[in-house]
Amino acid sequence: MIEIPFALIITSIIGAVLAGFTCSIMGTFVVRMNLASIGYCMSHAAFAGAAFGLMLSIDPMIGALLFSFATAIILGPIAEKAKLQSNIVIGFLFSFMIAIAFIFLNYVPGQAANAKALRILWGSVLSVGYNDILLLCLLAFVIVIFVIIFYKELVSVMFHRKLAEASGVNTKIFYFAILFLTGIEVAFSLRIVGGLLVFALIINPTSTAYQFFYDFKKILFVSPLIGIISCLLGFYLSWELDFPIGASIVIVSSLVFAFSIIISPKRRVNKK
Amino acid sequence: MKDEQIIKLENIETIYEGERIPVIKNINLEVNKGEFISIIGPNGAGKTTLLETINGILSYTAGRGLVFDKEIKKNKHFIRKKTGYLIQNFEIETLSPFLCKDVVMMGRTGKKGLLRFTNKKDWEKVWYSMSLVGMIDYAKRPAGKLSGGEFQKILLARILAQEPRLLLLDEPLSNLDYSKRQQIEILLNRLHEKEKITILMVSHDLSFIPEKCKRVIVIDKGKIIMDDKKEKILNSKNLKNIFKSGRVL
Repeated sequence: MIEIPFALIITSIIGAVLAGFTCSIMGTFVVRMNLASIGYCMSHAAFAGAAFGLMLSIDPMIGALLFSFATAIILGPIAEKAKLQSNIVIGFLFSFMIAIAFIFLNYVPGQAANAKALRILWGSVLSVGYNDILLLCLLAFVIVIFVIIFYKELVSVMFHRKLAEASGVNTKIFYFAILFLTGIEVAFSLRIVGGLLVFALIINPTSTAYQFFYDFKKILFVSPLIGIISCLLGFYLSWELDFPIGASIVIVSSLVFAFSIIISPKRRVNKK
Repeated sequence: MKDEQIIKLENIETIYEGERIPVIKNINLEVNKGEFISIIGPNGAGKTTLLETINGILSYTAGRGLVFDKEIKKNKHFIRKKTGYLIQNFEIETLSPFLCKDVVMMGRTGKKGLLRFTNKKDWEKVWYSMSLVGMIDYAKRPAGKLSGGEFQKILLARILAQEPRLLLLDEPLSNLDYSKRQQIEILLNRLHEKEKITILMVSHDLSFIPEKCKRVIVIDKGKIIMDDKKEKILNSKNLKNIFKSGRVL
């Protein structure tokens, strides 16, 4: 087994915990809006951006961030303009991003470069730097403030967009903001945890919380806690069994979700 | 003294995006404060379109529309904050993660406005609205677990919490059994009497016209074809013909 410096482990744990926290908060909205696929759409946008960066011989991470930002910005307005469900637009952008990623990679010589772009998709918890941590901290702060300040509007939009609009809430702004923040959050977390784990951290903790509560506020509180606990348990599992860290976190959060379905009070039948 | 005018529509026409044929056309309507009006007509006559044109969810393509003396197109959000809108056939998922009290509180969101947190006064208004519709005991119940009639009352409490000056009710009595319909009807009569709210209620069934409603408007094929006192409309031969032809269900 390779010895990993203690400081690196701590940084990785902080990175994963922060990613778990932010992904799970946004996951509360994403799951309610049935936008689970936004995770892989954004990760493939980052993949296309990385390929674009490699093609122009610039840092692939810069390309990845640029493409993710752009996708996050246009996602909402396209869905609105096309009068289609966001999931359909996500599907369109997903396939488009894969297509242009392969075109970009076609102009990049050598297999090693392709592997570099693919690494964006898979991420590496152990490659977390202080800058990544700082960015995620900033994002976590922005998301928490956003949710606190606009909680009443967000809950209203989550319940029913048309009803919220009819009672005087400008729903478009909040709808776009949720899509944008989720997109940015995926882009920031990708490098740390990779596309697969981002997807799992958005969906699993919130889906678990949904098994226990009928109160949106409680779901919003509990989801990030489950996300953080899943990350910490995943790290422990990886440490003990020498499993890859990302895969361990996914397995833990999936097991927690599966267990929550079994013990969910929402499905309990009270027999007299 | 002239009554305060709440709605004034002049030659209003509304066409859905991407379509050519107007859903409602040449609509001229004046509604004064405190009126309780039933709008009846067959399915597809344009009743919902009319309500959604009034609160600005749909933009009219011709004519001029004023609500609370303000042009609808330019003051959508202002108008909506003072207008309670009950949408047709609202169905909630059984596992919906919202408690009844929170659904009612949502009615105050637009009225409060941005960057303002809900406070004790808002909650007092929520409890008052819930007790008005007789649902105070359901405050902490999941909204998705209620029956159709109970949930309809919660939606009514939601728009009452908004403290509206105008209520736009789209088929509030449909899909309810007789006793539930009576409960809602009594509630609407009481609201009109006690709170003096102006009410426009859409229905496709003549038997759904509440007692306190004094004026009836009949819409067919996007046009207002009758607008008179309830008694006159109900005894009109023309209306009977529409019923006979099965156009009003």
